[in-house]
Amino acid sequence: MIMISGIVALVLLIAITLFRDDGSTQTGPSELGPAAPVDSSMCIASKEYMQAHHMQVLDKWRHDSVREGNRTHVTPDGRHFDKSLQTCLGCHANNRFFCFMCHQYANVKPTCWNCHLSPMESSK
Amino acid sequence: MIEKALKGNRAYWAWVALLLVLIVSGLSAWGRQLSLGLGVTGMGRDISWGLYIAQFTFLVGVAASAVMVVMPYYLHNQKAFSKIVIVGEFLAVSAAAMCMLFILADMGKPQRVLNVLRYPSPHSMVFWDVIVLNGYLMLNLVSGWAVLGAEKKGVAAPSWTKALIYLSIPWAFSIHTVTAFLYAGLPGRHLWLTAVLAPRFLASAFAAGTALLILLSFVLQKSAGFDVGKEARMKLTVICAYAGVANFFLLGTEFFTAFYSNVPSHMHSLQYLFFGLDGHGQFVPLMWLSLLTGLGSVALLLVPRLRSQSRWLIAACSGLVLSIWIDKGVGLIIGGFLPTPLDEIVLYMPTLTEISVTVGIWAIGLLLLTMLLKVAVTVKMQD
Amino acid sequence: MNQQRRDFLKKASLGALAGIGAMAGIIPTFALEKTDTSVFSDRPQPGKTRWGMLIDTRNCREGCSECVAACHATHNVPDFGDSKNEVKWIWKSPYEKAFPTSSLQLPSRQLQELDVLTLCNHCAEPPCTKACPTEATFKRWDGIVAMDYHRCIGCRFCMAACPYGSRSFNWQDPRPAISEYSDTYPTRERGVVEKCNFCSERLVKGQQPACVEACPGKAITFGDLNDPASVIRTMLGDNETVQRKPELGTLPSVFYII
Repeated sequence: MIMISGIVALVLLIAITLFRDDGSTQTGPSELGPAAPVDSSMCIASKEYMQAHHMQVLDKWRHDSVREGNRTHVTPDGRHFDKSLQTCLGCHANNRFFCFMCHQYANVKPTCWNCHLSPMESSK
Repeated sequence: MIEKALKGNRAYWAWVALLLVLIVSGLSAWGRQLSLGLGVTGMGRDISWGLYIAQFTFLVGVAASAVMVVMPYYLHNQKAFSKIVIVGEFLAVSAAAMCMLFILADMGKPQRVLNVLRYPSPHSMVFWDVIVLNGYLMLNLVSGWAVLGAEKKGVAAPSWTKALIYLSIPWAFSIHTVTAFLYAGLPGRHLWLTAVLAPRFLASAFAAGTALLILLSFVLQKSAGFDVGKEARMKLTVICAYAGVANFFLLGTEFFTAFYSNVPSHMHSLQYLFFGLDGHGQFVPLMWLSLLTGLGSVALLLVPRLRSQSRWLIAACSGLVLSIWIDKGVGLIIGGFLPTPLDEIVLYMPTLTEISVTVGIWAIGLLLLTMLLKVAVTVKMQD
Repeated sequence: MNQQRRDFLKKASLGALAGIGAMAGIIPTFALEKTDTSVFSDRPQPGKTRWGMLIDTRNCREGCSECVAACHATHNVPDFGDSKNEVKWIWKSPYEKAFPTSSLQLPSRQLQELDVLTLCNHCAEPPCTKACPTEATFKRWDGIVAMDYHRCIGCRFCMAACPYGSRSFNWQDPRPAISEYSDTYPTRERGVVEKCNFCSERLVKGQQPACVEACPGKAITFGDLNDPASVIRTMLGDNETVQRKPELGTLPSVFYII
């Protein structure tokens, strides 16, 4: 009997954890003005950081801009960027193989380009 | 105990072989669908749910109908049902499994199915349906298997099975109510936007499910010599008959409200299905077949002299299952989409791929049912 | 199982439960946070933006479909060439099809020949977002009913729920059916639902939606319905407007001057 009530309590605990607010609520009003200009002197972060963390950055950007309306990324040194793939491609699309060089080597195939227009395809 | 499913006579293996052939063909069709997309089916922009969801809706009902044997036996101590309860529970497991396979087959992105659990959405009926259906399958499988295992060992079933079985009783009602709520809360689909949809679902489920159970009992008698008992069969027949009466009564009330009130949005879908609308009537013959077969079957089931004869009983049960399968599948699902929100009529033609996948999933369900029942029958006949 | 093992298992599970309970207090990810209920309030709050559209059918030119062309081109909407696989975000429908619950008895000559623009109404009380099991379609802070194509599982429940037939599904890979890619917006994949997004990607840059800009007759007005000083609110105050199927309580954000 103790075990069953214990298991029920565990299930309830997990259920409450799952059902809590997952952060997709809308926060404040969005900024509807023009997007921040592209500061193409430097990337949003160092090469080493981006190589290690670009997928997490993109994942967070995707969540923030699609679901939360929070489109402005502020770097630690105070520069503003639009949270969009276009921010990256705005500079990096010069190289048609920008993403693919490394991804092909690492044999990682993210599905971004099923929808988003890759540097290889875009008219730039 | 599962090893009991691996022993059988020639007829058993021939049946399994047939099912495997159908499953392989279904898998190959599903492979085609996975690589080309759902465009290989007959569904389109206007009729966005078709054969797969129709099967799902029908089978949720069959799964829920197990309660019609579980409740009398466990809650009301009707000992006559002692042999048929496990058949009902395993039918529920097989039907619930088929439901989930049909949902998976119908999804545009099946690889993302876990998103339903990753991002729980309590306002969505589909979310709840996924949860309750999985829960119901587990409930019936675990409790049925445990009770069967205890019987095999000749001991009393563990006490926790009682708790699970009692839980499965309201749960059975809930799975089909939630499924009805999928449809009954959508403001734009007037065939579905009726409070009577949930009761209608339950009535048709209990009618078709019990009819299937009766038919199964004949199959088990013929193939394995397993007799569920005349009393069980007769009690089940009476339940089936009254559920059938309730089903057609509720259909009648739908007709009354639609046509007496004369409100176009209430009438149009029923009109299209049964009489045709603006010169279109793709399903009229099928719906009348369903209605007349169903009414005839229920009439047969209500006459004690006829329903006690095997061949009339089999005919009536088969007719009722066919009738409800057409009504709940084609009639309800496809009919719900027509006329479209822009008041148009579109044709629905299921494709070979779509039918192949459907038959394949039915075969998987039947194979699961065959194996589970083989175990059940072997255990129950061991003494 | 012997009794000692049973006791051990009982104590161990209790211990595990106690441990998880303690963790809940210490590790923030397991903390029981208060649910933010504002996500469940579906009427737009005054003070926040609510995007809306006013379509003046008197200025909508017969035979013209510049808005459709502009929208579909800029958003890479595929053209499959058949009505079964059709994907459309905005299109023209006969008046009696777009407004089937209005009075259709003895209509005027003008009404008999009228085609109106039909698109997602971005309802304030959308049945589609209620239906979505993953919140892949959801109501945004600015009233736009948005699609998260990354999350959509393609169940098409939202399509069943929409009372206006505004949504399309990608039954096949859309890319072969796109004649020319526009780089202002991604394409979609096979297996997801799509619809008008009120050009949210253009709004962010301070631009008007593509259909509004493309219309040669300036028939479409777009603006903030919550701003009493906006052009659209002024026009709504000055003109008699209708909406599609208002009896369903969806509170659409698209208005029509017939």
